[in-house]
Amino acid sequence: MVYTRKTAWPLVIGLVMIAYAYSVQTGALADLIKYLGTARLTDEMRVLGYTFGAIGVVAGLWQLLAPPKDEGNADYFLSMVGGVVFIMLVAFVVKWGLDPLMAQWGRAAQPGLGFNFASVMNLNYVVMGIIAGIVIVNVFRVPGWAENGVRLSRLGLKTGVILLGALYSLAELAQLGRLSVVLIGVFVLGSVGVVLWLGARRSMPNSMTGVLSAGVGVCGVSAAVAAAPVVRAKSIEIAYTIGTILLFGVICMFVFPIIGKAMGMGYIQFGAWAGTGILNSAQVAGAALAFQPNGIETLKVAEIFNITRVLFLPIIVLWLAVWYVRREAGAQQVDLVQVVVGKFPVFVLGFILMFALSSTGIFAPAQHYQGAYFDNSDKAMTSKDKDGKPVSRLLNDKDLAALQAEAGKVQRQDQKTALQRLMENRKVMSIDDDDTLRGVVNAKIMNKAASDVLVKAHRAVRHTAKKIAMFRDLIAWFFTFGLVGLGMQITMSSIRQAGGQPLVVGSLVGVFKAVGSLIVVWLLVAETV
Amino acid sequence: MAEDKFDRGTALTVFPSDRHEDFMALVISLAIALLVYLLI
Repeated sequence: MVYTRKTAWPLVIGLVMIAYAYSVQTGALADLIKYLGTARLTDEMRVLGYTFGAIGVVAGLWQLLAPPKDEGNADYFLSMVGGVVFIMLVAFVVKWGLDPLMAQWGRAAQPGLGFNFASVMNLNYVVMGIIAGIVIVNVFRVPGWAENGVRLSRLGLKTGVILLGALYSLAELAQLGRLSVVLIGVFVLGSVGVVLWLGARRSMPNSMTGVLSAGVGVCGVSAAVAAAPVVRAKSIEIAYTIGTILLFGVICMFVFPIIGKAMGMGYIQFGAWAGTGILNSAQVAGAALAFQPNGIETLKVAEIFNITRVLFLPIIVLWLAVWYVRREAGAQQVDLVQVVVGKFPVFVLGFILMFALSSTGIFAPAQHYQGAYFDNSDKAMTSKDKDGKPVSRLLNDKDLAALQAEAGKVQRQDQKTALQRLMENRKVMSIDDDDTLRGVVNAKIMNKAASDVLVKAHRAVRHTAKKIAMFRDLIAWFFTFGLVGLGMQITMSSIRQAGGQPLVVGSLVGVFKAVGSLIVVWLLVAETV
Repeated sequence: MAEDKFDRGTALTVFPSDRHEDFMALVISLAIALLVYLLI
């Protein structure tokens, strides 16, 4: 069959993208960009706008003026371009428009609601990308000239998953506390195991069970997205899993602090419980801050547990890959080794390879987590101004005077000591000091001038590796591309077909994990880890 | 999108098999990693 349709749409989309990039470049959209707070994205707006715009224009002209008349590779590959630029156009709207707009509205509504609804509901590009795809296919429809290209969305997702491996490092895992590793290990592996068992008991498809187990067991939405291609999950199964995780997480975020306070839990107990029992990172942070709004101790503990959980992702991906291959082989008497070699998803090996490369420290200092690391060496404490002249990032005399004037307000011994060390050395001396001083800022103990100095000192020692930042941007784009395309494959009839089983199993296991971790934390975790 | 709309690949992918798709994702990722390592 001949795939390429004679249409002007890819050309039109290409021209729109170029016009957008040009408007960004000339500053014509400066007001809109300022309102959305997307000034830091203007470089990628220009690069991606011109790149995909040019691809759309060239392929569009070819498609319009001299479309291939016969079957063949030229016809097959040319017909994909329309779908790619179509998805990218939607992705641009989601990533540069809806995502920052929701963040903006979430912040604006915070004083009235008492919480940031965009953060709580996880209304970011991941969720909105998939919703945008669902709306397009169900309200309008995927145009015929784009259908072939939409089938590239899973390739985008797999590429994003492989690159995701670069964000984690083994050194970070080695630094975590033994308690968090044991507690999280038991609950992550336990939850995954229970979902796999329950799914089989309730005759759910292997793909649905697999993606749900990763979502409920590890770290919510990103784990579900990472595991989806491993177990060949259908688009609707990913959507169901994400829906279950978000719904359950939002409920937990409100319920956990109430229970924690009613039980008289300490910071460490509550942080350990929230970091273990709540499914999604944003909601872990939300619950910790709701429990202790005027300090950072709970958040810090919860984040350690949260990071530990995320770092289990490579293990779970590997487990699910082997589990799925074995389940699919089913009752047939086949050689397991042969099946694994024949069916094991190669991109999972890519993910592990990228994780191993990142652990060697070639992309960032080995002790990084998602590219962020602590460094207060002399080199790190020097930056360059716009003329290229070196500028010291040590605190100056004015900064020290501001701190000195307010130092008497700090009462806690650990905070006093950290502050003293900061003033003596003019820089933050350790990760622990940095965390302690962030607590001082959060609790608003000192006046604004002194707090600003603490923030300045914090920024001077916290760095983000450029390479990992680049990986993160690329992963975000591959995921947006993949999820918009996957959303375009979720029709109302497929939602009816999937039924309500995933919600039942996901909620059951979520409750099991929340209650189980509460009991374990209550009995075993003292106020010191 | 129905399966029979396409005589190459499947309803979900343009590649002849999952393994082809995996290898393509791996090649793209490694190329990106190399470029990031060299240029950033």
